[in-house]
Amino acid sequence: MEELVSLRGIIKHFPGVIANDNVSFTLRKGEIHALLGENGAGKTTLMNILYGLYRPDIGEIYVEGRKVEINSPKDAITLGIGMVHQNFKLIPSHTVLENIILGLKKSGLVIKSRKIGEEIKKLAESYGWRINPNAYVWQLTAGEKQQVELLKILYRDAKILILDEPTSVLTPQECRILLQALRRMAKEGKGIIFITHKLDEVFAISDRVTVMRKGRVLVTKETSETNMSELAQYMVGRPVIFTIEKKESRPSGEAITIKNLKAFNDKGVLALKDVNLKVMKNEIVGIIGVTGNGQQELVEVIAGLRKASGGSLIVDGVNIINSSPEKIIELGIAYIPPEPLRYGIAPNLTVLDNLFMKAYRYKPYSNGVIVNWKKIYNKAEELIREFQIVPENPYAKARSLSGGNLQRLILARELSGLIGEKIPRLIVAAYPTKGLDVGATEFVHKTLIEYSRKGSGILFVSEDIEEALMISDRVAVMHDGKIVRVFRPGEVDIDKIGLMMAGVEIAFK
Amino acid sequence: MAKTIIMPHSVKIKRRLHISRKLSILTTFSTLVLAFGVSGIFFAMIGLNPLDVYSYMVGVYTSPTLLLKALERAIPIGLAALGLSIAFRMNFWNIGAEGQMYMGMFASTGIVLLHAYYDLIPDYLVLLLMILASFVTGGLWCGLPAFLKAKMRVNEILTTLMMNYVAMYFVDFLIYGPWRDPKGYGFPLSIPFPEYAKLTMIFGEFAYSGLLLLCIAVALAVVILRYTKLGFELKIVGEGIDIARYAGIRITKVITLGGILSGGIAGLGGLAIVSGIIGRLRPRASPGYGYTAIIVILLSALNPWLVVPVSIFFGGIFVAGDILQATLKIPGAAVEMHQALIFLFIVVGEFLKRYKITITREVVR
Repeated sequence: MEELVSLRGIIKHFPGVIANDNVSFTLRKGEIHALLGENGAGKTTLMNILYGLYRPDIGEIYVEGRKVEINSPKDAITLGIGMVHQNFKLIPSHTVLENIILGLKKSGLVIKSRKIGEEIKKLAESYGWRINPNAYVWQLTAGEKQQVELLKILYRDAKILILDEPTSVLTPQECRILLQALRRMAKEGKGIIFITHKLDEVFAISDRVTVMRKGRVLVTKETSETNMSELAQYMVGRPVIFTIEKKESRPSGEAITIKNLKAFNDKGVLALKDVNLKVMKNEIVGIIGVTGNGQQELVEVIAGLRKASGGSLIVDGVNIINSSPEKIIELGIAYIPPEPLRYGIAPNLTVLDNLFMKAYRYKPYSNGVIVNWKKIYNKAEELIREFQIVPENPYAKARSLSGGNLQRLILARELSGLIGEKIPRLIVAAYPTKGLDVGATEFVHKTLIEYSRKGSGILFVSEDIEEALMISDRVAVMHDGKIVRVFRPGEVDIDKIGLMMAGVEIAFK
Repeated sequence: MAKTIIMPHSVKIKRRLHISRKLSILTTFSTLVLAFGVSGIFFAMIGLNPLDVYSYMVGVYTSPTLLLKALERAIPIGLAALGLSIAFRMNFWNIGAEGQMYMGMFASTGIVLLHAYYDLIPDYLVLLLMILASFVTGGLWCGLPAFLKAKMRVNEILTTLMMNYVAMYFVDFLIYGPWRDPKGYGFPLSIPFPEYAKLTMIFGEFAYSGLLLLCIAVALAVVILRYTKLGFELKIVGEGIDIARYAGIRITKVITLGGILSGGIAGLGGLAIVSGIIGRLRPRASPGYGYTAIIVILLSALNPWLVVPVSIFFGGIFVAGDILQATLKIPGAAVEMHQALIFLFIVVGEFLKRYKITITREVVR
């Protein structure tokens, strides 16, 4: 079969990480090729290279058998490559037609709106879509916006389509329409690369599948010759045995009880459908699941940063649902957020400011009006020593700290009991080791275990199954806004966990 | 075969990570020289010797009497700038100091008129009440857009700017209408303020009393920003709403309170104009001090202490403008253009300090 694209030996470094490590990938004419892997596996980087957004350090790109250099998306478009990004790149205040012809050379000086409008309409109808070319983009639903993005590419006669997690914003119905249209495009001889981390989609749509993990391609197979559990295993990797000293937990009293929790995500889709979970004091409960199944919404609702649409959070017999973040902090609920640089750290402020951005308003650091900076400075020095934060200068700007030190800073702020000098009753830790090196990861693990044995309840969200199994006392698998199953590490083998994460129902004896 | 592509020149603007003091002083100095150079060309075109003009301008800062006049002008400018130091700290782009000053003038004059016609309180309390009233009125004039921003994300740049015109025309209306002095031969002026309603208690000069008021305000701003809970909260809100929410800060309260403080201090600047510089209310009593204050606070890098010298410098530019009009018979428009050029060049200089511009040409194999 004719090869549309061939990427050979692609290597791409970013400061401190290898995003693509000697990756090869081919796309055939008329096929839908799923590119599967967890977040950070290097899928998007590889496709951004093909689309000209990045240049590979080493490696060759062939399009229809010819060796090419792709220096910009403009080059890619000329070669017939089009990409639909996860976040749409449309201009909301312009019409569909204007968005589609934007940057198009052949439109000339005078825009023949009526003629182009007819063409767009016809093109859309051939895929079963109903798009009004004169509608404004802000009036469209997410699914329609995606159709416009695709039309924009198809109108430029693209032969190679890249879709980056296209279903993440769609409702199930919109999904079905998209998959039907993609199949029609493949039949017309276009090649489609479908980036995803959802196993069921691979089987629903693709002809071939390539699995990536940690920057490498592990396998490329005909979809009909593989099955879910095999792919899950590739995606997650073999269990790596790390041992960590962990005393038996002695759960004592409830830290928090989550009942029938429901909440919407930023796109207005119900992301938490019905979450039920109990976290005890002296216990670490790990939450695992493929990213985007409601983990982020769950931690945000507990921290008071996202409104719940239903359910309850019970602390000491009181329902604290939708309390202000301030109130929740005062209850002793600590929160280690994902993406610390966006949510957990003010990079332009000092280490001292960041350490005390919650505690400054409480005694003994403030009398209600004036902040006692001397007391804060002394305590900050103490915390910097205890949590081994480098540099040791409380007035260093937070942005000068490495990722590991930023996480130590957050741990110091959240765990050290600055508020009322007691330890937190609940620590919500969302991906606290993501992107950290081995030493920093170990520090985070040890610290969390230490606090759980001192009496805190810990909710530990991770993308890494082995990590979660290693440090948790109980593990909850999350899929599609629900807790699918709760078990103790060792009770369920890792293949089955992978399947549960993918939403496959498994019968247990 | 690979072909060589020479890309066109590309201009890249990058934020400087570190701004050296040497670069900073050199840039400010050379932009000032450039501003004077360019306006010199215009002065030459209208038949003046630019050197004469410059020497008059420098004279403002060397003559004690004129420097005192510069100091008078510096007081409303400085107060407005201090107000802005609070708003800008929380990334609230208050462009409305001008309007907040007009509301301060309105409130102070209102108290004087009330006292003159109804005489409800002893004379020595009038000035105190004027201070209070101008602070509150100016504060509400900025508190409203701040509240709207916090609650409904209404863009504060638009609201504060538009409210300037509302305030200015409101004062116009009062002074051409009900507040016009009946014994004023029809001029659009209020009654002159009695002595007890004037800021002249030190040596009978507004400049000294005003400087005292300005220094108290500087100290107040420093205490608020550095030592209070509110000051720290303003700083965190300035770093972003997400992080402030995460820290459990009551964002609506902080932004509204910050807005009230910011406008309130600017309102005191309005009081300084009517009760200090002019001694009565007249239309257009501020020649744009509220806008100048924006440049002052940016040049001072939000540092309250630096506001005093920088304001005196800009006060001098206003005084120089008056003198040039009176002595060299330069048209008012030319003077304003000269001032505008100085401001414009300083703003460009500030940009150049913060960003590095490089022009490169990439050769791609």
